[in-house]
Amino acid sequence: MKYRYAMVCSSNQNRSMEAHSLFKKQGFDVCSYGTGAHVKLPGPSLREPNVYDFGTPYKYMFEDLRRKDPELYKRNGILPMLKRNLGVKLAPQRWQDNAADGSFGIVLTFEEKVFDMVIQDLHNRDQILLKSVLVINLEVKDNHEEAAIGARLALDLCEQIEAVESWEESIDDVIASFENRHRRKLLYSISFY
Amino acid sequence: MVGIMNPVSREKLASLSNSVKIAMDLASKLDLCRQLKQDLLEEDAASLSDFLPRLFDLYSEPSGPVRRIIGEIGVKHVEFAPQIAPFLITVLEDATPAVARQSISSSIDLFRRTLEKVAIQGLYSSELDSDLESSWSWMLKLKEKIYSVAFQPGSSGTRLVALKFVQAVILLYTPDPNGSPEPPPEEGTPVEFNITWLRGGHPLLNVADLSIEASQRLASLLDLLRFPTVKSLTSSVIVVLINSLAAIAKKRPAYYGRILPVLLNLDPPSFVIKGVHVYGAHHALKNALHSCLKCTHPSAAPWKDRILGALREMKAGGLTELTLNEVHKSNGSLEEGKDYSSVVKEETPLVKSCDAVVSNVGRKRSGTEDSSDLADSDGVSGKRFRSTPSVSEESTKDSNRNTTMSQGDISSVQQTTNKADVDTGPVQQLVGMFGALVAQGEKAVGSLGILISSISADLLAEVVMANMRNLPPNRPHTVGDDELLENMCIVGSDTQAKYPPSFLADVASLSSTFPPIASALNSQQFASKEVIQKIEGDNEGDTMAGPNNAVAYAGMPHEAENALLATDLPVSSDIVLPGMGKTDVPTPSGIHDVGSFESEIPGLDSSVRTDGLSDTQAASSLVSTDVEDASQEQVSYGGRSPLHVLPSISTDRSEELSPKTAVTDSNSMISSTATSVILPRFVLPKMSAPVVALSDDQKDDLQKLAFIRIIEAYKQIAVAGSSQVRFSLLAYLGVELPSELDIQKILREHILSDYINHEGHELTLRVLYRLFGEAEEESDFFSCTTAASAYETFLLAVAETLRDSFPPSDKSLSKLLDEVPRLPKSVLNLLECLCSPGISDKADKESQSGDRVTQGLTTVWSLIRLRPAIRDVCLKIALQSAVHHLEEVRMKAIRLVANRVYPLPSMAPKIEDFAREMLLSVVNGDATEGKDAEGSITESHKDSDSEKPSNELQPMSSIGKDISADVHQSETSQSMSSLSVLEAQRCMSLYFALCTKKHSLFLQIFIIYKSASKAVKQAMQAIHRQIPILVRTMGSSSDLLEIISDPPSGSENLLMQVLHTLTEGTVPSAELIFTIKKLFDSKLKDVEILVPVLPFLPREEVLLLFPRIVNLPPEKFQAAITRMLQGSSHSGPVLSPAEVLIAIHGIDPERDGIPLKKVTDACNACFEQRQIFTQQVLAKVLNQLVEQIPLPLLFMRTVLQAIGAFPALVDFIMEILSRLVSKQIWKYPKLWVGFLKCAQLTKPQSFSVLLQLPPPQLENALNRIAALRAPLVEHASQQNIRASLPRSVLAVLGLAPDSQSSSQAQTSQAHTGDTSNSEKDAVAAEKSKESSSAS
Repeated sequence: MKYRYAMVCSSNQNRSMEAHSLFKKQGFDVCSYGTGAHVKLPGPSLREPNVYDFGTPYKYMFEDLRRKDPELYKRNGILPMLKRNLGVKLAPQRWQDNAADGSFGIVLTFEEKVFDMVIQDLHNRDQILLKSVLVINLEVKDNHEEAAIGARLALDLCEQIEAVESWEESIDDVIASFENRHRRKLLYSISFY
Repeated sequence: MVGIMNPVSREKLASLSNSVKIAMDLASKLDLCRQLKQDLLEEDAASLSDFLPRLFDLYSEPSGPVRRIIGEIGVKHVEFAPQIAPFLITVLEDATPAVARQSISSSIDLFRRTLEKVAIQGLYSSELDSDLESSWSWMLKLKEKIYSVAFQPGSSGTRLVALKFVQAVILLYTPDPNGSPEPPPEEGTPVEFNITWLRGGHPLLNVADLSIEASQRLASLLDLLRFPTVKSLTSSVIVVLINSLAAIAKKRPAYYGRILPVLLNLDPPSFVIKGVHVYGAHHALKNALHSCLKCTHPSAAPWKDRILGALREMKAGGLTELTLNEVHKSNGSLEEGKDYSSVVKEETPLVKSCDAVVSNVGRKRSGTEDSSDLADSDGVSGKRFRSTPSVSEESTKDSNRNTTMSQGDISSVQQTTNKADVDTGPVQQLVGMFGALVAQGEKAVGSLGILISSISADLLAEVVMANMRNLPPNRPHTVGDDELLENMCIVGSDTQAKYPPSFLADVASLSSTFPPIASALNSQQFASKEVIQKIEGDNEGDTMAGPNNAVAYAGMPHEAENALLATDLPVSSDIVLPGMGKTDVPTPSGIHDVGSFESEIPGLDSSVRTDGLSDTQAASSLVSTDVEDASQEQVSYGGRSPLHVLPSISTDRSEELSPKTAVTDSNSMISSTATSVILPRFVLPKMSAPVVALSDDQKDDLQKLAFIRIIEAYKQIAVAGSSQVRFSLLAYLGVELPSELDIQKILREHILSDYINHEGHELTLRVLYRLFGEAEEESDFFSCTTAASAYETFLLAVAETLRDSFPPSDKSLSKLLDEVPRLPKSVLNLLECLCSPGISDKADKESQSGDRVTQGLTTVWSLIRLRPAIRDVCLKIALQSAVHHLEEVRMKAIRLVANRVYPLPSMAPKIEDFAREMLLSVVNGDATEGKDAEGSITESHKDSDSEKPSNELQPMSSIGKDISADVHQSETSQSMSSLSVLEAQRCMSLYFALCTKKHSLFLQIFIIYKSASKAVKQAMQAIHRQIPILVRTMGSSSDLLEIISDPPSGSENLLMQVLHTLTEGTVPSAELIFTIKKLFDSKLKDVEILVPVLPFLPREEVLLLFPRIVNLPPEKFQAAITRMLQGSSHSGPVLSPAEVLIAIHGIDPERDGIPLKKVTDACNACFEQRQIFTQQVLAKVLNQLVEQIPLPLLFMRTVLQAIGAFPALVDFIMEILSRLVSKQIWKYPKLWVGFLKCAQLTKPQSFSVLLQLPPPQLENALNRIAALRAPLVEHASQQNIRASLPRSVLAVLGLAPDSQSSSQAQTSQAHTGDTSNSEKDAVAAEKSKESSSAS
């Protein structure tokens, strides 16, 4: 594996973690992040979501929700998701606070808003290293099924990127072939560390 | 200090670098390199100097990654720039892009450090040390080299970094406005380098030169993005370029003016590079523009409008968002706009239905939109004051500084709010211009025309849109059209006198298009009304309520609703009076009306006036403002912001118009019968009710109550009809309100309380679609999930209620499930329970009638038809039901599956698989079960065996064991067999049903039959029970014939049953007969299979087969005989009973290989059926048989049996016997015995026959059966008989003693003695046979 990967969605729960989990299984060097201000999980109603801070262990959330309403959270798939997550890493991490994690080669985002935030954040950082980073947005709807599909697509994409000698030379071709194959639009940008 | 180096680490480094060289495989090389790098970075500068050559040496490595790592080493140490720079330059040309990129990345770091060092050293001394100078010159070379990479087409990967390098250099070379202007007091402090630190007199660096270079480089960058160069770039380069430029623009606002035009001209269409994915670049541009927009630097300000425009265009290209929204968004007032529009939306239905709600809404609005209201009322009051001079010229001349000041305050507030508007740029400016022109009236007609024609339609539309925000807040949209007309009327009538119709139309249309202008006019009118009122109060203080009075009234508490209602009506009617008095308006009738109107409701009148006055008081007691001053002030403000031209100019106009306006206004009001419907329009913000702070709970309650009220109202609407349109609203409302209130529950209850009359289906669908949309929307995870679960809850609740409260025949549930956007699992479960009652553990479901099942199945069927996506799931439900334990349920489901679903080609394989699986499960599952049972039984028997001491008994006991095992098994299975047969039937019915649809499936049953017959009686029984029905349905189809022609071994019994069924009651087809015969000839030699078709075979064939038929077990033979005799209904019996018997007699046991026993059994069987084998038949048979030569073996036996069966035949038998005599029966020893026996049986009738025997035979007979002699002698001694007898016979009888005859008799006796011996044997054999057959 030539690059370090980062999977980014808004809460570092569903889409990014699905991808993180999959990439990890495939032996990629991968991290995952969320760009939101908090980690929001569905609650009993729209107005009362379960809000946690980034850094709260998945385990804690899992126990917390299981205590609150095991039926509800099992039914809407939150508990299984958390269970998956806590097997992948300790706690959700925030993209904006990840400077210490070093530089990534490829960043995958799963929502345009997140993509924008990542780009903006990268631009706001001091670009000293001049190490290029490819940021790609793959639009994935935020539900369990789509996340699973999205993760597989992401894996496919990244395998393509790994396959070419350097993405800097041929990213356009990689993207175009991916779009043709999967009929999904990608958005990419290049930034520097 | 230089030169001191730890020898250990030096050695280590040396060895490391060596091992790098030596290492063979890439991975270990990389590892070593990394380690080397790590170590080197930790070393001090001196060690590096020694070590650099070695490093460069390493660069000759063939593998790219190794070289890349080398490139990273050592760049931290500026001292070695002269050595490293040439190296980096070489590396730049490396064939591997990654290595070249690394070189540039390293270069920028080195460059920055060197520059900093040079700059700072130059600050403190006029001389630089030569090392540094040479470093710098190398750096410059390096920089030039990278420039060339950046600006020449080549590997895009390297280029990306090179461009980034250019950006970095530009940033380094230009002053950072945000950076610290002074260099840090000490070296090494972490302050970012800023070129402004350099002042004149730096020995090496000239700020001006540097900035010129930066500027040139920037120009080059920009050139890259210009047409047509941009065409040749890859999109990744474009993205990087855009990002870099945006970064420069943001960090160096001075370049804003140069960068932005290029970015803005970067037309999205020109992004089409290689025809694909322009999105990356497009998006980057959008982001860049957005980030530029955020720049607060003054030099950025002028560009805002253009950026906004460009962004809007980009959005418009996507056709995603309304321009209106965009305007609002860029304005930062999106919230307000949304609020407003939503309020209007909510109002619309309510305004019509009840006034109370209007006031409610009004209050609500004022509560929620404090800020905007404030602004509004400020604006209005400002305008009002401005218009006051029109009349106050005559009335008040006093100037009041205080109020002027306060007005100044207000208008300044207004200005700030307006400033926000101005931010939106040209649109607002245009609005201002229009306003100003309209306000000028007639003079401006021409200019207006020119203006309208000169701006583009798009812009005009935007102006209109922008204006929407200024609509009067309470203007009800539903009546908007009418009102607009009316507005035009008002304006029209008021201008008619002065302006030509053309202008009139213009103004009218303008005022309808420009609500703010219209409202401005209105408010002027309104204000003037008030003023007039005031004047009137002054003039006629005695008759009407004076100002004092008014103040007193004002103190009175008014309920908000009353006030709202009251103000409007009277204010208008009220004002007419003074207006009338002052100006002669040519509308006498109108005046008259007004007069009468007014006099009719004096009470209202007064309350109104006070209201109006109190209002003006409340507004801020500015009634006596010095208007001149105010307007002056206004004008001065107007000079600054174009929008303010409007009010100041409009003052002039209102001077001329206002009195008349008031009159005409009120006229029109009256002529429109002063309906209260349109009155809310005049509810001005000034009437705002006191703001009450509500707790969250109270708010919730209010919302809930409101919603309940709305729902109640809907019940009425439903009665009135035309509720279709409103449903969407109700659904929207139900979903939008916070879910804690459980609004959806209320909604649900409403729907379910009367599903049919409330058009529950429609409403439910709308709610569900709305929730579904929310769940599918590209929104965040948790709202998706919440909406999805709300959707599920709602649907499930409705579905359950429909199930429980409606009769099964009702189609509502089915219809609902057909049309909802998605069927969650829980609903499918519900359906499953419906189709297979008893699946869930709920006991009450047991009472469900079959109709419910039908309902469920019908629903499933329609789902299968209408929702292909969930076909499989639905099919599963149906199949589950098709193996249900209740037969009623099962048969219904099977009918559905087999008759309706199975014909669908896509579903057939799945159904078949399932049915087969179930079928096999019976066989396999039960087989093991049966084996188990058997095993245990033998086991127990072994035990009992072991108890038995003697060995001899073993064979016996083993037989017994078999028998008892059978008995035992049948016993055990008996207990559960009834259950198991049902169970087997449960699993098999579906398959059988499918067989009727697809006959080839039947083969499977043949195949399993064998395995089933081994173990499972239940399955057999089940099969046998089903087969007749099944086969009858199938008929002898070609598929079935094919199966018959080649039946799997072990299935013979089944085959027989099938054949029997096929031939029962019908004539089998020729094909079937042919097939069976073929099977008989080729594979299955058992004649049994021919039995069913015997009646349909040609006679000859049957006769040929006859011996084999006789050979069948007795009962089967019986059946075959019966069949043959019955024949088919068409052709009659294939054989007559006589023929059958004859055929039996025709069998030669030796020739045909059939045991004699079988033949006699066959005969016996025939004789048992006396109603068929009657006396006549027998007579006929005997008659024919007796003619046969040789005589059939069993002939005499048959004769004997015939006599036994039919004694009346005795005469006939005598005839036969005498014929036998003539045939010399004594020559057939076996038959001779029978003959004698028969004669004995039939004495005395047989005497005459006996006497016909020749004397030797007679003597033989008498010797054999001694008992005959005496009666025969007696018979013969009768006179008449004796006379007829020949002497020799008499001699035998002893009636005529004759020596000769006696000697003759002697010899004959001796002669027959031999035969008699053999005959004796025969008789003995016969006897034993008879006895055995009798037994």
